[in-house]
Amino acid sequence: MAYVRKNVAALTRQEKRRFVDALLELKRRGEYDEFVRMHIHYFTPDGERGLRTAHMAPSFLPWHRRFLLDLERALRRVDSSVTIPYWDWTRDRTTTSVPWRDDLLGGNGRPGDRRVTTGPFAWAHGHWTLRVGVTDGTFLTRDLGRSHDPIALPTAAELEWALKDPVYDVAPWDSTVTKGFRNKLEGWGPGRGSTSWRNHNRVHRWVGGTMLGAASVNDPVFWLHHAFLDLQWTRWQRRHRTGRYLPAQPPGRGDAQHGRVVARHQKLPPWDVTPDQLEDVSRIYRYA
Amino acid sequence: MVAGKDGDGRVRGRAAPAAAETGGGTPAASSPTLHPSRRPTRREVTAALAACGVALVAAPPVAAGAPRAVAGPPGAPGEGNGTVFEERYRGRLIRGVWIPHGTSDSSAGTPAASGTGAGEWQVTVDGRPLHLMRRADGTWLSMVDHYQSYRTPLEAARGAVDVMGPGQQLRDLAPGPADGLRQHPYPHAQGVPDGVRA
Repeated sequence: MAYVRKNVAALTRQEKRRFVDALLELKRRGEYDEFVRMHIHYFTPDGERGLRTAHMAPSFLPWHRRFLLDLERALRRVDSSVTIPYWDWTRDRTTTSVPWRDDLLGGNGRPGDRRVTTGPFAWAHGHWTLRVGVTDGTFLTRDLGRSHDPIALPTAAELEWALKDPVYDVAPWDSTVTKGFRNKLEGWGPGRGSTSWRNHNRVHRWVGGTMLGAASVNDPVFWLHHAFLDLQWTRWQRRHRTGRYLPAQPPGRGDAQHGRVVARHQKLPPWDVTPDQLEDVSRIYRYA
Repeated sequence: MVAGKDGDGRVRGRAAPAAAETGGGTPAASSPTLHPSRRPTRREVTAALAACGVALVAAPPVAAGAPRAVAGPPGAPGEGNGTVFEERYRGRLIRGVWIPHGTSDSSAGTPAASGTGAGEWQVTVDGRPLHLMRRADGTWLSMVDHYQSYRTPLEAARGAVDVMGPGQQLRDLAPGPADGLRQHPYPHAQGVPDGVRA
């Protein structure tokens, strides 16, 4: 029986509390920090050598799908009623929208050091001390909307621009491609500045602070953000019925991408699972 | 971008000969490869930067119009092909040094896109290593700012400083792609989840 992932704006007070409590329990046990490490470890950009799985690659979507499933499985071991909610940033667009309230993720960071001081993940409560990170800061930080040079969250139109592309991904399957649903959703544009942060990337930048770095998983909004991206994959499949994960076959030996991306039927490290096996998860969960 | 025009500090560049001293025979050049994207250890970086410091003292200032290196590193902050940069930016000391890889390690090197020789930039902020990574378009990402890329290592380091809160320092062993999981194997990494068709 498939369980349901809900819009965070539709959660009851009790559902929010149980989701938060399960996260805090994973953190207390040390399990949560393993997820932070894992995400850092698998960020291999396309200008470096080696296999890319989590970012700048076609497996951006299945990698994060499986990553969320692992967290969700851990959460449900703590409380079997819990599922990961999604944050629709095309609708809940302000610094006081549902995710940022005191009964869920807490609010913006304070001026100065950007420390989050409200909600269950505030450092002062002692339940959310960052242990795995790029800096030695032990508190969660946010700078919602980037105060010094404000930017907006991606719009519904920007998301639609990605969804309407009928091709999943195109060669060379990296951050430079200008066609294909995957990179339009992941959001790597040319060069720097605002065109280099669309959709997924832009949301990381809008939240700011901890969400900008390799250890972005330390901010629990990571999961709500990626659940919404995961929902977009499902929407894209529904709209483009014949659309499949690409590449179907591994790039050949003469191809610069040989050994650097995961094809449809290849194992997706670190798991014993292929993108093909992750394309349809309707037996595990569905979105409401 | 020309070094020294941005930020509130100075950039000092050095031409290739100083860096040839820096890079030649550093531990980084001869260390065994642990991982395809292995970075030199902190000790190696420290050693390289110490050597760099010596070079900065010993080398005369580079005169305007000094000959440029022919095959310098990608992303050098100034004109030409400087292999060292240093700047105080928003109260923090940013330093970078280009470390050529040993010629015996044929697999080492920057991506083909650089086309300017094998090696890598080692950048520190307040003396602590800042891991940089490259995008296929030749731009640079840092571990602190992972969802945006910059034209040069110096710009990436400034971007990292912009994001780091006051009083925060890079972790001594900031986890890089090759670090962190060996002692802590990811507990959920095996098996197909229930419901996924096998």
